[in-house]
Amino acid sequence: MLKNVFKRFSWLLGLALLITMLAACSEDDQTQGSANDSGDEGTSEFEGSLLAWAWDQNFNVAALEIAQNYFDEELKMEIVDSSSADIVQRLNAGLSSGTMKGMPNIVLIEDGRAQTFLRSYPNAFYPIGEYFNTDDFASYKIAPTSYDGKQYGLPFDTGVTGLFYRKDILEEAGYSEEDLQNITWGEYVDIAIEVKEKTGTAMISLDPNDLGIIRMMLQSAGSWYTTPDDEINIENNDALKLALENYKKLMDSEAVYMVSDWSNYIGSFNNGDAATVPTGNWMAPSIEQAESQAGLWRVAPIPRLDIDGAKNAANLGGSSWYVLNIDGKEKAAEFLGQTFGSNKDFYQDLVTEIGAIGTFKAASEGEAYQIEDDFFGGQKLIYKFSQWMEDIPQIDSGINTNGIEGILEAEMQNYLKGESLEDVLNNTQEQAENQFK
Amino acid sequence: MIKKIRHFFDYNKLILKIFLVLFFSIMTVSVLITYSGIRMSSNLFMDTFSITNTKVIKQIENQIDNFHQSIVRTAFEVEKDSELKRLLKSDYDNTREQAIYIYTLNQKVDHFYNNFYPNNVTMLLMNKRGEAFNANFNIWDPDDQVLLNHPITRQLDRSNNQIEFSLENSSLTNHKPMIIAGKALREASDESPYGYYFAAIKERDLRSFYEGFTSEGNNILLMAPNGKIISSNKKNYIGLSEPRLLSYANDLNEYQAEYRNIRVFDKDYTFLVKYLPSFGVYLINLVDQNLVAKNVINTNEILLISAFIVCISLFIAVLIIRRMTVPLSDLVNQISDMARYQFNKPLEVKGGYEARKIAESFNYMLNELHDYVKLLLRTQEKQRKAELKALQHQINPHFIYNTLASIKFMTQQGKIEEVSQTIESFIALLQHALTNIEETITVEQEIIHLKNYTKVNQSRYGDRIQVNFLVSPDSLECRLPKLVLQPFVENAFFHAFIKKKRGVIQILIAVKDNKLVCEVMDNGDGMDKEQRHSKEEQNKQLYSGIGIRNVDERIKLLYGNKYGVETKSELGIGTRVKITLPFIDS
Repeated sequence: MLKNVFKRFSWLLGLALLITMLAACSEDDQTQGSANDSGDEGTSEFEGSLLAWAWDQNFNVAALEIAQNYFDEELKMEIVDSSSADIVQRLNAGLSSGTMKGMPNIVLIEDGRAQTFLRSYPNAFYPIGEYFNTDDFASYKIAPTSYDGKQYGLPFDTGVTGLFYRKDILEEAGYSEEDLQNITWGEYVDIAIEVKEKTGTAMISLDPNDLGIIRMMLQSAGSWYTTPDDEINIENNDALKLALENYKKLMDSEAVYMVSDWSNYIGSFNNGDAATVPTGNWMAPSIEQAESQAGLWRVAPIPRLDIDGAKNAANLGGSSWYVLNIDGKEKAAEFLGQTFGSNKDFYQDLVTEIGAIGTFKAASEGEAYQIEDDFFGGQKLIYKFSQWMEDIPQIDSGINTNGIEGILEAEMQNYLKGESLEDVLNNTQEQAENQFK
Repeated sequence: MIKKIRHFFDYNKLILKIFLVLFFSIMTVSVLITYSGIRMSSNLFMDTFSITNTKVIKQIENQIDNFHQSIVRTAFEVEKDSELKRLLKSDYDNTREQAIYIYTLNQKVDHFYNNFYPNNVTMLLMNKRGEAFNANFNIWDPDDQVLLNHPITRQLDRSNNQIEFSLENSSLTNHKPMIIAGKALREASDESPYGYYFAAIKERDLRSFYEGFTSEGNNILLMAPNGKIISSNKKNYIGLSEPRLLSYANDLNEYQAEYRNIRVFDKDYTFLVKYLPSFGVYLINLVDQNLVAKNVINTNEILLISAFIVCISLFIAVLIIRRMTVPLSDLVNQISDMARYQFNKPLEVKGGYEARKIAESFNYMLNELHDYVKLLLRTQEKQRKAELKALQHQINPHFIYNTLASIKFMTQQGKIEEVSQTIESFIALLQHALTNIEETITVEQEIIHLKNYTKVNQSRYGDRIQVNFLVSPDSLECRLPKLVLQPFVENAFFHAFIKKKRGVIQILIAVKDNKLVCEVMDNGDGMDKEQRHSKEEQNKQLYSGIGIRNVDERIKLLYGNKYGVETKSELGIGTRVKITLPFIDS
């Protein structure tokens, strides 16, 4: 009887089985979905991929990629390569809106712009002082990367400057290598006039929209457009006065090759239209592009302003890594600390593979820094730069550098047209105070 | 083996037939439903997809239009700006003136550049000397002289005061694909160019206008009117020329159709197109049908589910059919086996309702039939018994006549003694036949009867035939049917001694193995088989109605098959009849 009942309902049983199986299938999908959801919320132990923003595929991005080899742990990192200006704009947009959605874990910021961000959005950045020792880095890098006593940035490349020059052209004008060591900007202008007269070649190429040369002059004297208290420091700034005088003298001398954009600038010395390039060490690869000029180039310390205490060292450019205060910040800070923050061997790789000179002082003891560069007549280029780096006077560029420079650029035209230096400086001071006070 | 298979097929013929029919109908239905389901959902999907994509294209068009607008607007502003015109045409005498010139022009460029949307476009102004002023050289930083002498610029010289777009991927753009818009700035008077206006965007950034709308298999590309693909989310398409795509684009645009399916790049695509008159390019949306359909409609899953359902329903169907057909087949088998069991074995009642009902009815019918047959047999038996009874009580009148005639002769011859003995025996015979109404008699009575019969016969025919009786004492009280032995004795008397004139008939009766065994033997002529048969047939019964032929039948009727009559005979030696009867003690 029981058997009969079972037989009769066995097909029902089969049907029930079928339905259960189908239901189980769809249930599976749901559980999978929810598992993924919960994965995104992971906060305690960060397992996602880190996002990094940097510019220059062959330099900064490459440095990040090399760094991953030096990190103990398995790390997933997505690196987005865009321009420096783009990064600034996107950071501004993101941070000012207050949402950290889509923001990177690690971002590269130019030292000159860092303070703007740190002061405007201090909570958006994660202090990483405890992940490395600030004393290990060139001191001039600390001021721009810290704020309110906290270290926010991990100093990366140096913008230490030097005076690249064409040995052959200067010798033609009667200057030996010694004549260019530790000179002042005044001496540099004199040499420029001499070179132009004797060789017909311009001493320097300049873009009137780029006052980098003024910055280098100011920094060599430990001075800036602003005081450390963010006061506009133009009107009574002797260093600035001297710098502008040198600039005008240079302009009037016809020893300048004018360029209007970057490619022109590079082209000017690659084509032999300029005898010297006073700029950051990062220009070396561009200079080396002109293979026909191999062995003709030398590098000397950057000229200094003729002021007491001025050093033959200055900085132009350079950037540092910052960690944003979002999920994964500990992991990101750990990563930076272990690689850029303390690994000497890593810096040797940086030099040999991409020619990046870091600001990690211990790195200069490594072998890679002792390499003699044949393009520069066997000079130990990297080592020289790393030595000069330590002499760079520390200045606080504040947050208004770019704005003030914009005003100064415009006033500079008036100065070139013949207005007196005092008027130019007064006007600049006045405009800057109106704008930034 | 083959027989076995045949038997299997015979046995399962019904279920196989039903299964095949079911199988094919279920398969057909599910294949058709699956196919049409997939087709319908694919079509529906493609339809909705096309509608959405038409909207998406509209949106991309708007974005690109905005971009184009800002290029055009800036071009007009640049052209209108008289100070800029003066600057571009002017020259300088020394470095100081050059510095101011460059600074001022860069300021101008920056001023115009502020209007630009989006910000990943750069703008560049160039004077006739080839001095270029670039708003954002992060995006594009061409060498001045290369640009001045480039075919693009030369083309602008010839062109009709309009904005020309081109895709460049050469040293001009550092070997990265870029879209460059250019316009010659011309004098109002003689239309001679005094400078050039360029706007450039990396193909990568142009792609960002639409890349968000694309996905695996959903591709967007921009195609110049010469058939060259200038931008696409599929990087390997960039720079390709696909004339077929161009002709499709022209067709579709002409007929205002919504979309059509085409085959390019060795794949089937659904193809949507929109001509962007501002740019002079086609915005093309290629949807990889297979890939997209595969992503949305999981064909495998549908097929799997259909197959699963088919299997399950077939399985269930087979179970149910089996439950119905197996009892039927069983019934058929049992019924065909009926004869082997003399229709005595009833059908097993099992299986489904129908089978059980059939079996029940069949069994009922069988029982009825059995009852009827039994009744018939019993009636026949009764009739036969009645007949026999009647025969038992009847003496052939010829026998009486012959006997009386013999007695008359004996009387005439004066053999009084013999007459009186014969009459005595004859009376005993008559008495025995007429008075004894019982069916069975004791062996003793039978022997007396046989002796009387022998006497009567001997008185008629003389005593040349001797009759001996050998009866075991323990059998005397046994009962046996009337007139069982008499026919064989009579037979021996009248047929066994035709050639031989003398002989002996021996009658033996004994109990053996709990059976009563009677034997009638003669040493007469004997017979072969044929003779025996014909004799049995022809012999007239001289004494009573019961002939030897009936005896065996009668015994079997009364006591069953175990009992009966056996005859052995040999020519010239004699005949021996053995009658086996049950031992019935009175």
